[in-house]
Amino acid sequence: MNSIVKYILKNALRDKIYLGIFLALIVSLGLSVFLGSASLIEEQITTSVYLAGSYRIIIAIGMILFVCLSIGKAFENKEIEFILSKSISREGVVFSYLIGFFIVSLLISIPSFLIIAIIGKIKYSGFFLWAISIILENLILISFTLLASLILKNSFSAIFASFAFYLISRLMGIFVLAIDIPKNFIDAKNNILATLLKFLSVAFPRLDLYAQTSWIVYGIEKINNIEIIFWQFVIYLPLLIFMSFHDFKKKQF
Amino acid sequence: MNPKIFYYLNSHRIYFWLFLSFFLMQIFLWKITENIHPKFDLIPPAPNKYMVSALSFGDNEFLFRILSARLQNSGDVFAGFVALKNYNYSYLYDWMKILDNLNSQSRLIPSLASYYYSQTQNISDNKYIIKYLDEYASKDIDKHWWWLFQATYIAKINLKDLKLALQLAEKLAINEAKDAPLWTKQLPAFIREDMGEGCVAFKIIKNLIDEIESGKRIAKPEEMNFMRYFINSRLTNLKNQKFNPKEC
Repeated sequence: MNSIVKYILKNALRDKIYLGIFLALIVSLGLSVFLGSASLIEEQITTSVYLAGSYRIIIAIGMILFVCLSIGKAFENKEIEFILSKSISREGVVFSYLIGFFIVSLLISIPSFLIIAIIGKIKYSGFFLWAISIILENLILISFTLLASLILKNSFSAIFASFAFYLISRLMGIFVLAIDIPKNFIDAKNNILATLLKFLSVAFPRLDLYAQTSWIVYGIEKINNIEIIFWQFVIYLPLLIFMSFHDFKKKQF
Repeated sequence: MNPKIFYYLNSHRIYFWLFLSFFLMQIFLWKITENIHPKFDLIPPAPNKYMVSALSFGDNEFLFRILSARLQNSGDVFAGFVALKNYNYSYLYDWMKILDNLNSQSRLIPSLASYYYSQTQNISDNKYIIKYLDEYASKDIDKHWWWLFQATYIAKINLKDLKLALQLAEKLAINEAKDAPLWTKQLPAFIREDMGEGCVAFKIIKNLIDEIESGKRIAKPEEMNFMRYFINSRLTNLKNQKFNPKEC
């Protein structure tokens, strides 16, 4: 298991993921400082918010691309079959990949947290919670991307599916707000699309509640949301992992 | 078929001529579309709250900062600036309300409204600014008294509507903020004075002095000196008009 984790870390180095994402973070830093300084008031707060918001997106996109392309390459080059020929269980393979990708995302996230903490004007309690929720969000995203890459043969299909998952999960708040559960069958029939969307929302996590940049600026306001974030993570991550185990175990090589 | 024509139709040169003919068509199309420009709104109509919630993707603060920057810099177009009189202030008001829904704690939007957008050459547009600042401050007058003062100032100085300024000043006067200076309570008196209601102005200041002397309120010595001067000068004027101040 350790060797798979080390292999993924070296893969990231070889594919220049760290370099690519760090460059994106630096460009985002420059833009955020520039745009923040142009604000009429609250310049440092604006810089912090731009930094935090853009880093969240950069890390998410970077990890989706890395996971999908790595797994796609692993299948194409028969690396998975080679690993399975060793004495390692299929669950072990999936778990090792998950741990490896998670460590890569940590290695990318920690410098971005440090940049925001140093440059931005932040409330430390809110910032700490924000950082934790980013890590949890990344774990959920990596798990789903791994699952999508295992199920879908094509890397690009997995990339699009993962982006769609991320976008829909972040839009989930507006879906549950705007759509009510139908009161009767006629109501459901008249609003069939809205009803389907409402029931589909069961399958997606509430990522719109994660990583609110307002926590960095104003501190923690709603304690309920913190509990929801925790329980969402505790329920959804194993759900994805078990699905990955199930799919990988029934795969024929 | 003529062998020469057959040779040219099947050689690579035909593609070059086809490319050239389509490029000429592209130049022709460019000429036709040259005057079709994108519609540019200084301040477009504000979206509804569901659209804004969707656009935020769960992160209201990030969207707030992006849209505020856009609101601050609207009119800064292609090496030029647009005069504020050309803005649609009713749309501006809608945008300010939408942005307040995203973040009601930031001072950015009231600052933009008070210090920048109130400088419009079209004076009557200030009624939207005043309306926004009044609604913003009314949520918590003790916390947002400064913006209510800004609304009062804009009504008095820019809009020159003393009645509206008085209404806002009386609302401001009821604040109990610890950091609000005494003049927030005196403002109705100054406006009454400008309206020619010296008697009422006298009464307001006298009531304040009475509250301070009875210990209900604390004032600095210079504030007391000013109020006593105000009373004395009004008292002299009222007595010269043979008017009894007790009848105010």
